[in-house]
Amino acid sequence: MPVISVLVALFIGAIFVLISGHNPIRAYAALILGAFGSPYDISETLVIAVPLTLAGLSVAVAFRTGLFNIGAQGQLLVGALAAGWTGSQFPDLPGIVLLPLTLISGVLGGAGYGAIAGWLKATRGVNEVITTIMQNYIVVFVMHWLLQDGPMTAPNAAGTPASSPIGAGAILPVIIPNELVPLSRLHAGIVLAVLAVILFWFLLWRTSLGYELRAVGLGALAAAQAGIDPKRRMVLVMAIAGGFAGLAGMIQVSGLFHRVFDGFSAGFGFDAIAVALLGKNSPIGITLAAILFAAFARGGTLMQANAGISSHLVEVIEALVLFVIAAETIVRAIAGRRGPAQALA
Amino acid sequence: MPVLLEMRGIAKQFGEIQALGGVDLVVNEGEIHALVGENGAGKTTLMNILYGLYHPDAGTIRFRGKDVRITGPRDAIALGIGMIHQHFMLVPPLTVAENVVLGEERMGPRLSTRAIEGRVRELEEKFKIVVEPSARIEDIPLGLQQRVEILKVLYRGSELLIFDEPTAVLTPQEVDELFTIVRELRSEGKTLILITHKLREVLAVTDHITVLRAGMNAAELVTKDTNAREIAQAMVGRELHDIRPREATGTSLPILQISRLEALSDRGTKALRGVDLVVHEGEILGVAGVGGNGQSELAQCILGLRPVTEGTITVGAADIAHDDPKRTRERGVAYVPEDRRVEGLVLPFTVADNFILGKQDRPPYARRGVLQRETIAKEGDRLAKEFDVRPPNARVIVGTLSGGNQQKVVLGREISESPRLIVISQPTRGLDIGSTEYVHERLLEQRARGCGILLISSELDEIRALSDRIAVMFEGRIVATLDAKEATEERLGLLMAGQKETVA
Amino acid sequence: MNIEVLIGAGVLAATLRLATPIALAALGGVVTERSGVTNIALEGCMLMGAFFAIFAADKTGSLPVAILVGLIAGVALAGLHALASITFRADQIVSGMALNILALGLTSYLDYELYGTTGTPASLPGVPTVDLGFLSAIPVLGGAFGHQSSILWVTFLLVIVLELFLFRTVPGLRLRAVGEHPRAAETVGIDVRRTRYWAVLASGALAALGGVYLSMAVAGSFTDGMTNGKGFIGLAAMIFGRWKPVGALIASLIFGYGDALSVSLQGVSIADVRIPVQLLSTIPYVLTILAVAGFVGRSRAPAADGLPYESEGH
Repeated sequence: MPVISVLVALFIGAIFVLISGHNPIRAYAALILGAFGSPYDISETLVIAVPLTLAGLSVAVAFRTGLFNIGAQGQLLVGALAAGWTGSQFPDLPGIVLLPLTLISGVLGGAGYGAIAGWLKATRGVNEVITTIMQNYIVVFVMHWLLQDGPMTAPNAAGTPASSPIGAGAILPVIIPNELVPLSRLHAGIVLAVLAVILFWFLLWRTSLGYELRAVGLGALAAAQAGIDPKRRMVLVMAIAGGFAGLAGMIQVSGLFHRVFDGFSAGFGFDAIAVALLGKNSPIGITLAAILFAAFARGGTLMQANAGISSHLVEVIEALVLFVIAAETIVRAIAGRRGPAQALA
Repeated sequence: MPVLLEMRGIAKQFGEIQALGGVDLVVNEGEIHALVGENGAGKTTLMNILYGLYHPDAGTIRFRGKDVRITGPRDAIALGIGMIHQHFMLVPPLTVAENVVLGEERMGPRLSTRAIEGRVRELEEKFKIVVEPSARIEDIPLGLQQRVEILKVLYRGSELLIFDEPTAVLTPQEVDELFTIVRELRSEGKTLILITHKLREVLAVTDHITVLRAGMNAAELVTKDTNAREIAQAMVGRELHDIRPREATGTSLPILQISRLEALSDRGTKALRGVDLVVHEGEILGVAGVGGNGQSELAQCILGLRPVTEGTITVGAADIAHDDPKRTRERGVAYVPEDRRVEGLVLPFTVADNFILGKQDRPPYARRGVLQRETIAKEGDRLAKEFDVRPPNARVIVGTLSGGNQQKVVLGREISESPRLIVISQPTRGLDIGSTEYVHERLLEQRARGCGILLISSELDEIRALSDRIAVMFEGRIVATLDAKEATEERLGLLMAGQKETVA
Repeated sequence: MNIEVLIGAGVLAATLRLATPIALAALGGVVTERSGVTNIALEGCMLMGAFFAIFAADKTGSLPVAILVGLIAGVALAGLHALASITFRADQIVSGMALNILALGLTSYLDYELYGTTGTPASLPGVPTVDLGFLSAIPVLGGAFGHQSSILWVTFLLVIVLELFLFRTVPGLRLRAVGEHPRAAETVGIDVRRTRYWAVLASGALAALGGVYLSMAVAGSFTDGMTNGKGFIGLAAMIFGRWKPVGALIASLIFGYGDALSVSLQGVSIADVRIPVQLLSTIPYVLTILAVAGFVGRSRAPAADGLPYESEGH
């Protein structure tokens, strides 16, 4: 069924292209070539897929408990800020110390930010959708301040406000040698992403905690009478979700940009929701969906450059995919209301 | 008096369940007619059909001598039929007057608060019903809210008023006030149908009685010519089933003691008004009663799923009244809830995963937080075989099993830990004969093992077949506790319908 | 720092300007959530209004047509949301998010296709401003109100109209009933679905008007994603304003003021410490969280908000 959603969306997208007087075949060909045409293209696609996968895991782990984490974007930024700060504060520490330190601060930053939303829901019943949307905006503005004329502003930064670069020890090195794929940016973060996917799977299907989370998401009443208290888990789940997103932010800093700047990694959060839903909140699904959306993003840029069709077409297609999934969700839900976690069991 | 309403041969099926199998109802103009029966007898279904919320599969309705088709509430209202629902259909933040006129404002688009409050006051004066029109629904008690429901139907010119279990949420004083209103309505020429299972109401205010049982007519009676015994017999009577022969295994050691238990329902009314009961080791205490008298809340309180406002619950020596479900279960309390699909199982999980629900964080199923998949699978298969789950494959998704097999999974999970006390509610609802037999066998087995069992059921057959002693629950209290041998159907029927026993 | 930057005519005028689109989105939110449908696609509706108004102005040169087309575009997007949420009972958050992305992608795509790198045309009909010259005698407020877009005044009018509609008319009563207890409304014969459809479509028009204001009255052009979250702030204002039109307006003014301050306080210092104006921009969002958490008064959404409704089976 997810495949159908994508195909339907691509079909409608093709209609748009036709209406605007372009050739859909040319458009999609350019899209595919841009994403996978050469080893360099593939490498670039993966560069986008890595943080997107992590953000997707962030959204999915919350969905599994019946919670809606719209705040992956904000958690990602907090993680990036934390990692950027740690990496630049101790530039002389050796990699063995600095890299794990940076990683931990990224994860904890995101986790803490996510935990706030979980705590508000558990103690005061606040809808996590509202909290996380608000949190997304808050961190953007805080980031403006931090990078424009606040404590993290890099001295002598020209152009986009940015932070000081992180120390060499905090960098995730590019793992594809130059001889193989020149100028490749694909960094060791991909290893972290793979580990994270495995961790996601292990957590949800091989631990007691994961069992409890899924039970609450699929049968809250049965779980409650069996002694599983949903409220206790909310903070923890949102923290875990935030941790995944924070890791995504850290990876962007350590592997790609080596510092934080205004407008950093925009849009991952919303794409992450689509990725989680399309991937049915499952490890393989999310990975594939992330690669697909990354291909869209990468291919879209080149489609615009080479075929002259606005890369925004990609957003249209993504939105249609999400919309079709939303409509499909209720086809599954037989009676009454089911949350996303239930319908995508 | 002329006949106002004639329903003939009404049949209605929901999926596999035949809710009504060809039912007749005849109501005279200007009378108060009681529609009586246990849960599942079909009373509410019949009235929902009359009000247009359901469509009948067969049968005819004649109103004032003319055949009518009622496709929705608007049709019913147009005919002059009004319904006072058991669960009030009132919008909490709106006022009394706004709720009364909603949908039938007869003005507009400007809404004149003064005008609508004026109209409501007029109605109140005419029918002697008192409730402040400008008060918000969320601020007034349930007894007054019911009056708003009554005003709603009167406002729409109802001539035939249907009351669905009207006293379910009322205090005794409010019940008397309701009777006064009801008699006043009759003297104003209105016709009333009261859906109820409480004999006190039937005998106090009604003129005629139609008794339904299992979706069919059981009796038509004239109130002043009949008595409680006759009505109860009609409600409940069916062939006596033999009580299963068995050894007396009960000890005199109490395993569960409940004293003066009070708790609120979801709507804020007192669901439990001082429950006292004892279950001994090795005995089955059956709690009989028509659904809605506090049985669900009782089970929930024991398990810690509902807050206890007064009283104690002790298991063994420990007071568990304020314990959460996890702690309660640690004391050896097992629970088979009344809605197995929603409360007992996680439907999308496998059978094996459902077997470990509640035990997912301890050995042998988990070690240091990590699930031991092999052990879970092996145990799952073993339990599936032991408890006759068909197919005996623990990898199957539990949602695909039949009701009977699902219940066996729940049972297996709860029994396999050798509990000291089993709280089991409506255990064989919706089950085929084979599964029902199986469940009863296992319960008796546990009883022989020395386990105490609190069996809550609206099926009198089941209660009488399994229980050593029977407690009857009515309006949030245990009104009597009888030895099984003394619990004739007649006695039980009367008690379940609220009749106090006179000391001979 | 002088007092002017805090409550000068300039700041207040800016407050009103910035509050207008927020208020329109908030009003849209009030209407739909009062009927029980969560519409987070208001951001998208706003964007649709912004783009298609410019597009129509360019093609027809007529202001009334431009505004109309903008509104229709917003209604169309809202219509998709209504279809998904009401008829298909899809998850309202997912549908809303999808439509936001759709609107963003679609408008940006069309912007690129039609106006490429040159940008939207410069000489488009403008939205008339309302000159209240006679007010200039009043200090501060005169300057604030004296020279504002007519859409701002329309917004004020809409606030009054909606407040009266919701609480003093029969259709308004029915709408509120549908949002609080749809089953009760249905049992008295109110068509829940139809009421909700109307509410969602109306919200699309209101939000679109906000977008029209942004593109036609303020900027005179369209840039990709120019709504920049105003739709979401509008939802925040709705929550903070307790789902009442007047409350939403007040909340919008407060949020607009915060926005205006962040501009007027730029570069200003108190005792040698520069005021972090960017942090001021977080105030609307923090306030909203506090409001829904119950720390700032009681904030309760309509009871059936966000829940798909199923008619009783037959």
